[in-house]
Amino acid sequence: MSNHYRTEGAKDSRHHGVARVSTSAGPVAVRTALMQRQTGVDLVAVRHSSAETSVATMTSRSRVLQAVADSPLELQSIVAALAAQYAVTTGVKQLVRRRRLDTFDQRLHAAGLTLEHQIVASGDRLVLGRRDGSSTVSVPLKDRQWPALADVLPSGPVREAVAPVAGIRALMVSADEMRRLRWLELRNEDGKIVVRVELDEPASAAATPARVTVRALRGYDDQARRADRLLVGVGLRAVENPENLENRELSSASPTAGTSRAMPARVLLATALSDSLLAVRENLPGLLDDVDTEFLHDFRVAVRRTRATLKMGRPTLPDVMRHSWEPAFKWLGDITTPVRDLDVYLLDLPVMRTWLVTANPTDLEPLATHLRSRRAVERRTLVRRLRSARFRRLDREWGEELSRLVDTLDDAHGEGFSAGQLIDRSLSRAYRRVARGGAVIGADSPAGDLHELRKRCKELRYALEVFAPVIDSADGNRAVDDLKALQDVLGRFQDSEAQRMAMRGFAEQMMIEGTTAGAMLAMGELIGHLDVEQDRARREFGASFARFERPSNTKLMHRLGGGT
Amino acid sequence: MKVLATYNIKGGVGKTSTAVNLAYLAAREGRRTLLWDLDPQGAATYMFRVRPRVKGGAHALVTRRRPIESALKATDFDNLDLLPADFSYRNMDLELDDTKKRTRRLGQLLDSLADDYDIVFLDCPPSISLVSENVMHASDTLLVPLIPATLSVRTLDQLIRFVADSQGNRPEVVAFFSMADRRKRLHRAVIDAIARDRTRVADTVIPALSIIEQMAERRAPVPAFAPTSRAAQCYEQLWAEVRPGTPR
Repeated sequence: MSNHYRTEGAKDSRHHGVARVSTSAGPVAVRTALMQRQTGVDLVAVRHSSAETSVATMTSRSRVLQAVADSPLELQSIVAALAAQYAVTTGVKQLVRRRRLDTFDQRLHAAGLTLEHQIVASGDRLVLGRRDGSSTVSVPLKDRQWPALADVLPSGPVREAVAPVAGIRALMVSADEMRRLRWLELRNEDGKIVVRVELDEPASAAATPARVTVRALRGYDDQARRADRLLVGVGLRAVENPENLENRELSSASPTAGTSRAMPARVLLATALSDSLLAVRENLPGLLDDVDTEFLHDFRVAVRRTRATLKMGRPTLPDVMRHSWEPAFKWLGDITTPVRDLDVYLLDLPVMRTWLVTANPTDLEPLATHLRSRRAVERRTLVRRLRSARFRRLDREWGEELSRLVDTLDDAHGEGFSAGQLIDRSLSRAYRRVARGGAVIGADSPAGDLHELRKRCKELRYALEVFAPVIDSADGNRAVDDLKALQDVLGRFQDSEAQRMAMRGFAEQMMIEGTTAGAMLAMGELIGHLDVEQDRARREFGASFARFERPSNTKLMHRLGGGT
Repeated sequence: MKVLATYNIKGGVGKTSTAVNLAYLAAREGRRTLLWDLDPQGAATYMFRVRPRVKGGAHALVTRRRPIESALKATDFDNLDLLPADFSYRNMDLELDDTKKRTRRLGQLLDSLADDYDIVFLDCPPSISLVSENVMHASDTLLVPLIPATLSVRTLDQLIRFVADSQGNRPEVVAFFSMADRRKRLHRAVIDAIARDRTRVADTVIPALSIIEQMAERRAPVPAFAPTSRAAQCYEQLWAEVRPGTPR
């Protein structure tokens, strides 16, 4: 069975065939136990994709009419049925390796696209389609290894459709199947192909079942309907939603169903911590293999969420969390910072080149080389640490800790904080700290004060996100939107400050290495631009904070529990 | 979306062969390609085994009584669709004459397909007419096949003047020699002597080969049924020269 969704125990080929291990102490097991506790039903952990985005339609507006047979396909009976109306040309059976491609976070799937690298004896092809089978376009492909960024795809319609959707995320093999394919061409009396029929059988028993796909050609839909009727007549049954064949695991159940303010706060916290551990483990292989920069980013987000959740949960979580696990996750966050900082500089370089007024964009090439070289060094250090006994112990023991936390929930039931009480306390505290911190910021406040306020905003943001399953979703979303605007201003201020200082550090090191004058001058321009940008962010802070503190938002925070 | 028209005032110079073969090559590269057979004789339509019939005819298309999408037909080749010929196209001049912006109508119709196709080929009838003016306005490139003969070169001069005098969009004119026979002294002389300063002339010369004539018999593009033939290689070279986005 092909599978590219994040379900427990399912074979996952995303990371070079490395299956994700799910032990009894794993985050999914913890999460599942928690959900069963809440809802009384079995659930699988599923990350839901974002909303669909549109891409241009393709040449052939094919309609897929699909039929499935549980037993092997009988070519003779199929051809005999079709030959009553058409001249049938039968192609040779081909062994095809179908490698489904998507980004780790399934951006193509979310956009309604399918992308396959098909490997046959005659050569490789890249086949792009819409998930509903309504259109396909294919291009030849040579010597492509995965993972790879979309911008290395052959130029043309496939890259044009995929690259904007995939963005900075690499395309990875999300499912890999050997199939036996045979094409039938149905021709009319002019010898024109009017319908194509694909007989698709698994090469192994474990794969998706055999199927027949009737592909309509543009302008010949009536012929496809006729062929479909002929096939139904020989005992094949139509499948209303072919996509479900490959995505049976996609659950529509909300992973947070059954949560309420009355539930024990520990349940809510354990759920959030389990989700974060799941994200840490999911992103680790891609991070270690350096597939794309988002694995490290998402890994760090999960670590920061863990730290924020532990901090918010102090009143109700065991002491060991504060004394042992908060420092452990601080260490984990800290070791990932140098590589992430360098990733950000490298990702920003194309934009930075546009800032230059007098210098030539190519003058920044020595900086790019310097950043890449430093990143390679820092990455080696990071990988060594993530493969160390210390990290492996942290990962294992944290899973066990979460299992113990779940096991003791019944004992703690009725004692300590309810989720509602913890939300009120945490949001109230986080909101107050932002309000107070922002109120004392003036035109001459040191940069450190704004940095502190930014950290307080992050705490409030994490609180809103961790408690999202319990608080009103519309109110929560509005609160996050307002906070995002303030965070954006503070982020630009702090990033400009940090990047200016970092740029000086890079320049000193590059001078020692004997860089060019052009590079120094160009970096000087960047520092000047960052200075202007920081001033602008400081000027915008007042308006942004006033908006955050406006009466309607204050009332909103009261409703959420943050104003008490 | 780029629009390339195979055009010549003269008939029988290789317009249809060129349109069919280049459209096939564009599609083979993965480009979403459409060929519109504007010639009421329907030779390109015949070569793709499609019936030369458009519901409502030229009138329905030009007046938009029927959407242009409804007339499209898939060919036997991936990424390549056909807008078939119809015998009523012989009256397309009259239909266009009755519309507003009569010289821009075909371009307007193609605009509605801009999201569906990367490349459109227009296989034009041999004439100078209102259809020709529409083709001028709609096209990015006019591909002009020339038989290496003095009169052909004179015809090219007329065409260059026609494009230069036309109002609005002026497509790039790219001429190339077609049906050439290097054994003929006159052909060699004309190919060597053509003035390349007035317009772009492709380096590729399409020879007179019987396998090109077989297209009508085989009802398929040459690179599809004879992929290693000299004719297929020549069309591949020509496509490499005129392909949109190719640096010169």
